[in-house]
Amino acid sequence: MSEKVKKMVKITVDDRTIEAEEGAILLQVLLENGFEIPYYCYHEALGPDGNCRMCMVEIEGKKRPQISCDTFVEEGLIVRTDTENIRRVRRGILELQLVNHPVDCPVCDQAGECSLQDYYMEYGLYHGKVPKAEKLHFEKHLDLGRNVMLDQERCVLCKRCVRFTGNIVKTGELGVVERADHSHIATLPGRKLENGYAMNVVDLCPVGALTSKDFRFKQRVWFLTSTPSVCHGCATGCAIYIDHAKTKFEDDTIYRFRPRKNPDINGHFICDEGRLSYKALQENRLREARAESSSIGFEEAAAQMKKMVESWQGRIVVLADANLYIEELEMVQIFANRIGGKLHAPLDAYRDPAFEDAWLKSAMRAANAKGVERLGIDTSMPSSRGEVLLINFNHPAAGDVKARRQIDLLTHRPETFADLTLPIAAWSETSGTLVNEAGIEQRCEQALFPNDPVPTLMTWLEAWDLGERCLV
Amino acid sequence: MGFAFTEENLRELEALAKRYPSKEALMLPALWKVMEQEGFISVEAMEAVAEWLGVSPMKVYGVVTFYEMFHEKPLGRHHIKVCRTLSCALCGQSGVLERLKERLGIEVGETTEDGRFTLSQVECLGSCGTAPVMQIDDTLYENLTPEKVDEILKELR
Amino acid sequence: MREVKIVSRRFDVPDVDRLDVALEHGAYKAVEKAFSMGSEAVLNAVCESGLRGKGGGGAPACGKWKLAAQHPDPVKFLAVNCDESEPGTFKDRQIITKDPHLLIEGIILTCYAIGAHDAYIYIRGEYHDFQKVLQKAIDEAYGAGILGEKTMGHDWRLDVTIHRGAGAYICGEKSALLESMEGKRGHPRLKPHRKEPEWYFGRPTLVNNVETIATVPFIVAEGPQAYRSYGTEKSPGTMLFALSGHVERPGVYEAEFGTPMMEYIERFGGGIKGGRALKAVIPGGASTPVLTAAEAAEARLDYESMKSLGSSLGTGGMIVMDETVDMVEALKNLLGFYHHESCGQCTPCREGTGWVDRIADAVVRGEAEAADLQKMLDISWTMNGKTICVFAPAVSGVIDAFVEKFGDEFQARLRSMA
Repeated sequence: MSEKVKKMVKITVDDRTIEAEEGAILLQVLLENGFEIPYYCYHEALGPDGNCRMCMVEIEGKKRPQISCDTFVEEGLIVRTDTENIRRVRRGILELQLVNHPVDCPVCDQAGECSLQDYYMEYGLYHGKVPKAEKLHFEKHLDLGRNVMLDQERCVLCKRCVRFTGNIVKTGELGVVERADHSHIATLPGRKLENGYAMNVVDLCPVGALTSKDFRFKQRVWFLTSTPSVCHGCATGCAIYIDHAKTKFEDDTIYRFRPRKNPDINGHFICDEGRLSYKALQENRLREARAESSSIGFEEAAAQMKKMVESWQGRIVVLADANLYIEELEMVQIFANRIGGKLHAPLDAYRDPAFEDAWLKSAMRAANAKGVERLGIDTSMPSSRGEVLLINFNHPAAGDVKARRQIDLLTHRPETFADLTLPIAAWSETSGTLVNEAGIEQRCEQALFPNDPVPTLMTWLEAWDLGERCLV
Repeated sequence: MGFAFTEENLRELEALAKRYPSKEALMLPALWKVMEQEGFISVEAMEAVAEWLGVSPMKVYGVVTFYEMFHEKPLGRHHIKVCRTLSCALCGQSGVLERLKERLGIEVGETTEDGRFTLSQVECLGSCGTAPVMQIDDTLYENLTPEKVDEILKELR
Repeated sequence: MREVKIVSRRFDVPDVDRLDVALEHGAYKAVEKAFSMGSEAVLNAVCESGLRGKGGGGAPACGKWKLAAQHPDPVKFLAVNCDESEPGTFKDRQIITKDPHLLIEGIILTCYAIGAHDAYIYIRGEYHDFQKVLQKAIDEAYGAGILGEKTMGHDWRLDVTIHRGAGAYICGEKSALLESMEGKRGHPRLKPHRKEPEWYFGRPTLVNNVETIATVPFIVAEGPQAYRSYGTEKSPGTMLFALSGHVERPGVYEAEFGTPMMEYIERFGGGIKGGRALKAVIPGGASTPVLTAAEAAEARLDYESMKSLGSSLGTGGMIVMDETVDMVEALKNLLGFYHHESCGQCTPCREGTGWVDRIADAVVRGEAEAADLQKMLDISWTMNGKTICVFAPAVSGVIDAFVEKFGDEFQARLRSMA
């Protein structure tokens, strides 16, 4: 049957007319239209829960302010978001959120990306004292496992984390215990977070209650630059932000990956393994060219490569990593053609059924396997009898190919060096396009600009004058 | 230290389950069975209840801690619950509580050294017409005076 | 003042909790009549009687019954609210211990009218001994073929199950009660946007208080007009009002709606204890705004009179306070209750109940300043009308009434700034 047709209706918000889908959640519509509505418990992926009471607005015809997360769009709705009364409501509720909160922003990792902090600055409560209210004390350093730390005192009990583990991953490790102002988030005694998506609760937490053990204390968020990219952990191609910083004493460094919303692929989330894959990405990088075990200059390396390729013309096997961008693969394809090499991008090497699950994790652990297929590159292992030159563009299974001589173009240091080894920029240091398992193309922007960049794959191939594409 | 329902309790719960549209409804009945069986609800018991209901153990933990009458730790043999709410307060609850503290030698929230009595203050027991009242285990004691407290304690010793 | 006993008519009959005695005194007669009238006629009788819910809200039973009865889902439920936890309220326990068969009869009639075949009685955990009396009556009713596969010989099944709570005041709120019955923490649900029944595991469900259900047999047996012949136009019938606190004879006594409060206190309660002067009355359970002695003198025991005095009839459980009562301490006592009982789900209530309790404590101890008292009123404002359920607004009403009406006592306890 055909999908139900979305009916668009007109509503009025603060004297502005807005078109919105009938039945849509008002808060979501307000946020999408640039209205500043404070909220904690609502989240697009989790739906409304109605517990924080911050998103109140005035609706014409209703006596009392209404929470906009539980108000639905209908024709002619008249909404006011910024009246004196609404500001008083928000200030009052915010004050209550803070009554048992430590207000320890200077030492809190959430500072700079904390809703509570934003709102209380906006509503001018920063010098308010809390009369006759000894703050209640709870656990401040609970290790929930899976890199997630809980500070119960900073929690505003929005239950996003509880709803995530309960309704999204359905593992249900988190919950609220006790009641009244003794309520707090907990796991069953003796148990911890046990799912491979646990770190999403850190992103979901609107305050500094849940922090990442991996990220906490490492960098202040206001020093970070977020670059949109795509996780290379598997063929799902989850959209991410690469959060990185170049500080006075340190080269451009990745501090974390965060999920970036893509409704067609990963929604709002990523798996923990993908999230933490930034570490391997920047550890043990190859930065120099080598002729066997001795270090050589880049120009010398380029010349040697050119020479070897010429002398092996016609007896060359080329291997390409299925994580390379489409633009890079195309160039490698043209290159292989030009030199009479046989190009392979064997996919079996990336298969990891143990990694796979029913949600975001794919058994194909290469970001551009589909791109390889689209370009018609041979995905089988080359059957070489040995009398060949192997030119390997970062493929993980190059060691399984028999070859007399070998040129490696690698992002990371190998265990043993080939006849010639050239460093190439990692995917975070260049830009390009990936095609995920479902055939969706995504662009990755260059995130890192290192002080001493290593050449890109494209740069090494410039010697062959393969065309305009080199400039991509 | 594991937990398992007695066969009889399990039979009763299975029979009760037929009365409800979903097994999840058996949360409180199952936890009451644990209370009857053990006098408190251990983490192991929560896990057993969760497994029997087909829900997460955390959900059971959340429920156990929400309801005043479920306990995670063993209490004294007798649990004395003195109503503290308004009608009882108006009718002499404080004298009753003071007498209990004095006779038992403990404060509210404590258990006597011999493990006989745990003393609690609770909210309205629904017996305001016969205030002040207390409940010891499941039995309600009404129209209390300090003297009556002495008699009741004597009987329970 | 007319004497009238509708719900309490068999309370004084010895052993009427036994089925044989109850039958001798007319129990279950309305069931036969109902089956001959048909379910719609039973529903109409309740609607015409003007019966209002006796659990605290006072909403007309008719509206809720129709929502359940007219819902197309063939599976429906009745949840009988016996969570009786509102301070000052102890009437439902009289029904389930003194005349449990009256409640069972009411349950049969209600289920028949709305088309439910399963009823649950949610009883507060502390009422365990009373629960046993009720369970015995239910067992006897099953044994006699009154409940079960064939209700009194008719081809119509009804099962009645007692569901024991475990100590949480908020579970008296109907949606929290259903959450609790679904095996969850007792958190009230968000209010629906249009008129609809309550839901138990996704099925339409009617939730009514014990006394409301126990009134139905009279309405069916005697007809709606007989019920309407008592009470007032807008508050027809009677209610089991109750007295506690400073009266000579506290207890539960049935009376017509519209009875003057002081007449009730004199006639049934024997007046203020020790002949002392009256200071205040909390009219219908702790959550209804307190009345001064002057207001009590004007008050009538019906919904409209109470509303006009800025309070409400609630559960009809009056807490009477004489001239010796320290109103600051009385408020502190109640705020301690709310602090303990807030379910903790939404912010204004979770944090607000704790904060106002601590401020009240400071006032009692003479450590609060004028600004603190003002802060309490500010928090009260934030708690009013901004939460999921009516718990916090009720607390707000309690605070505002105490501070407004007995302001002198509060002012006298404040520490001066000097």
